[in-house]
Formats: sequence, C-alpha cells, structure tokens
Amino acid sequence: MTDRERKDRERSATLIAAALALPGILPANASAQAAPDEGVVALRYYDYRDWQPGASRMTVRSPTLYALVPLSDTTTIEGSLTHDAMSGASPLYHNTLSGASGLGVTDYRTAGDVKVTRYFDGNALALGAAYSDERDYTSRAASVEWRHFSDDRNRTYAMGFGAAYDRIDSSNGLATNKRRETYDLLLGITQVLSAEALIESTLTWSQGRGYYSDPYKLLDQRPDRRHIVAWLTRYNQYVPRFDATLRLGYRYLHDSFGDESHMLEAAWIQSLPRGFNVTPSVRYYTQSAAGFYHDPPFPQGFVGGSPYTADTRLSAFGAVTLGLRVAKTFAGGTTADVALNFYRQRSAWRIGGGGSPGLEEFSARWIEFGIEKRF
Amino acid sequence: MTGSARRIRANRGARASARFAAVLWIACALASCATFDPPKPWEKGDLARPSMRFDSDPPAAKATQHIYQSKEGAAGGGAVGGGGCGCN
Repeated sequence: MTDRERKDRERSATLIAAALALPGILPANASAQAAPDEGVVALRYYDYRDWQPGASRMTVRSPTLYALVPLSDTTTIEGSLTHDAMSGASPLYHNTLSGASGLGVTDYRTAGDVKVTRYFDGNALALGAAYSDERDYTSRAASVEWRHFSDDRNRTYAMGFGAAYDRIDSSNGLATNKRRETYDLLLGITQVLSAEALIESTLTWSQGRGYYSDPYKLLDQRPDRRHIVAWLTRYNQYVPRFDATLRLGYRYLHDSFGDESHMLEAAWIQSLPRGFNVTPSVRYYTQSAAGFYHDPPFPQGFVGGSPYTADTRLSAFGAVTLGLRVAKTFAGGTTADVALNFYRQRSAWRIGGGGSPGLEEFSARWIEFGIEKRF
Repeated sequence: MTGSARRIRANRGARASARFAAVLWIACALASCATFDPPKPWEKGDLARPSMRFDSDPPAAKATQHIYQSKEGAAGGGAVGGGGCGCN
C-alpha cells in the first residue's frame, strides 16, 4: 500500500466513524476510531419560558460552555459547564411552592461533566463523571462506555453503564437527607445501510431506588423503586437531489410507575448558499398516566399509605414541539446558530384519546443561541 | 385497588415490556444486518456530512433533553449518566 492509499483509507475511516456517533455516548466530532485531531469550543445560551392560560409560569436562562480537546493521537477529553437560573412558578396542579400559593420559586442549578475517551484497535473506551447542584438537590454520576467498530467500519456496537447518586433536601423541610440511586445499562448498534443512510438503535434499562416523591406537591407519595426501559431508534437519510438530510427518530419508553410513552420526531436539514442551513423540526409525544396518578378534583383518589400523585407530568397527555433552526458556517471553522422551539401539552392530544381530564393546557417556548469554534 | 396490588401490576408490566423491547431490539438489529447494502470506503463521503451525525451538537442535545425531562413523565434512552433534578 502506498502512502497516498494509506492516507486515503485513513481519511475514509475517520469520516465514516464520525458519522457513526451514538447519542450521548460520544460527541459526533469525537466518534472516530482514532481520536480527532481538532478541538471544539462551543457556547450556548437558552432562554426558556412556559405558561398556562392567563398565567406565566417558569422562566429559565441557561448558558452552557462546552469544550473538546485532543490530548494525544489516541485520547480526548471533553466537558461542559451549565448554569440555570430559574424563577416563577411550577405548572398547576397543587404545588405548595407554586405561584398558586403566592410563594413562587427561585432556584439555581450548576452542572458540570467531564469525559475522557481512549481509542485503541477498533475500540473506544470512555470514562465520564457528572455533577449537578441545586439548593435542594445534588446529583453525582459516573459512567463507563465501550464501543467496538467492525473491520469495515460499517457497524458499531456500544455498551454503557452509568450510576447516579442523588440527595434531596427540600427547602420546605418535608424531605431531609433523602437519597436516590439509579443504575443505567445501555446496549446499542449503529449500522450504515447505504452510502446515504444510517440507522442506530439503543436499548436502555434504568433501575432506581430511593426517594421519588415530590416534597413540594401536597400528599405526593410515590413508590421507592423505579424501572425504566427505553428503546430509541434514529435514522438519517441524505437526499442528494435537495442537498438535504432527513432525520427521523422514535422512542418507546415504559416506566414501572405505570406510564408508557411514544415519541416521534423528524427534522429536515436544508443546505443553502453562503454557508447557511435551515432546519425545521417536529416532535410528537404521547404518554399514559402513572398507575397512582389521580385526576382532579384534588385529593380525589387519595388513600393514606398508598402511592398517590396529582402531578400533571404523570398524567395522560400528548405534546407537540415545532422548531426552526438557522445556522451559518463562517470561514475559519466558526459556526453560529439560532433556534426557536414551541411546545404545547394537551390532554386531548394523547394518541387514541383518553387524556387526563380537568387539566390546564401547558405551553412553553425556548430560544437558543450558539456559537462554535473548531481549532 | 390497594397500593401493593398496583405495585405488583406495575412491576409485572415493566418486566413484560422489558422483554418485549429486548426481543424487538434484537430482531431489528438482526434485520438490519440482513438487509443493508453497505457502501465501499470510497462511497462514504455523504455519510460524513455534519448533518448526518446523530448528535452533531452535544450541549444542545443535552439541554433539550433536560427540558423534556422536566415536563414529561419520564425521560431516557440513548445515554447513560445523571444530570440533576429538573423538577420545576
């Protein structure tokens, strides 16, 4: 093999591996079977707001700094820092700290994570750690992820294990030094289907035990064990005729609390002249109610000693998100983007009908600003 | 229905769904192996486009997932590791 052939082959292998990234396992630009030779620094800012008819609820402003740095030909380190500033009131129903009681909520969350990835002989091994701190909630997590690339680089197998240890100290004194442990196992496969199509499928099991109740919701009493199975499949198709990419995704999730959900999403990434691209997207979500969720009027269905919640997040509903992102890539490896997303939940939008009655419609919008520099 | 009966039913449901999802995932994985038409190395240029990456923007994906986690019954899939409460 000549030097040129070897370089061409290495370039092809790096390019295809970059397309084989698994979600959450490794960032796309660090997904090669060899460590990437360029670093990334990105800054993102989120402005989130939600409301119900006649009442503004939560506002969250959240800057995030992300960086990926190659340490050597075989090792990368990456990490992010996030600071959320939250104010307002949680959505109705029956939150003792909500605006409904006139008290409102003000909180801050600071979170950070770091991951070191080592590449060797068609494999990648990553070790990660994460920390998140709020006034009333602290979370520590660690993960290990292993990926194996097939010889032709058309298939990637992934396996991951994660553990999180959380502590809850509610500001109203109802939950003090409460603990929660969660263990996650992930199996995944990514397959090149053709020269223009990729598919990936991951199965995640989550086993948790500890304190799951919401101390800010009256009479809220949830089981102390929780098992979640999530199956996520995503498909990307490049469409040469339009110089565009179609992204499709589906997730099925079963929760031992009794609720099941289905999520479908689609996005169309359209390339435009002068380095622009525009991405309209749509997401549909539907879930059934948890086994211990009870419809209004509160506290209908409450029996002392039995699990109970009136938390609308565990009710039966459907939700739709519409999004639009515009990005521009400048010379020198800098990309800037802005996105607007609009989200709405309605009981009547649950697939097949049968949404929980008596709940207020819930809406949210979030605006994103991002800038990324590769070096 | 008593609380313990609800819990037993929920646990049975979780185990059944876990088995269903595992079987379905394995079946799909095998099916994809059997039907795809993998390209040669010199045919993979389009696959390397940024738009073809499953997570081309890790911080954006993480933030969006955090929003959904805080507003819907349960979240997960595609990643391992923690990320805080997101309760409000």
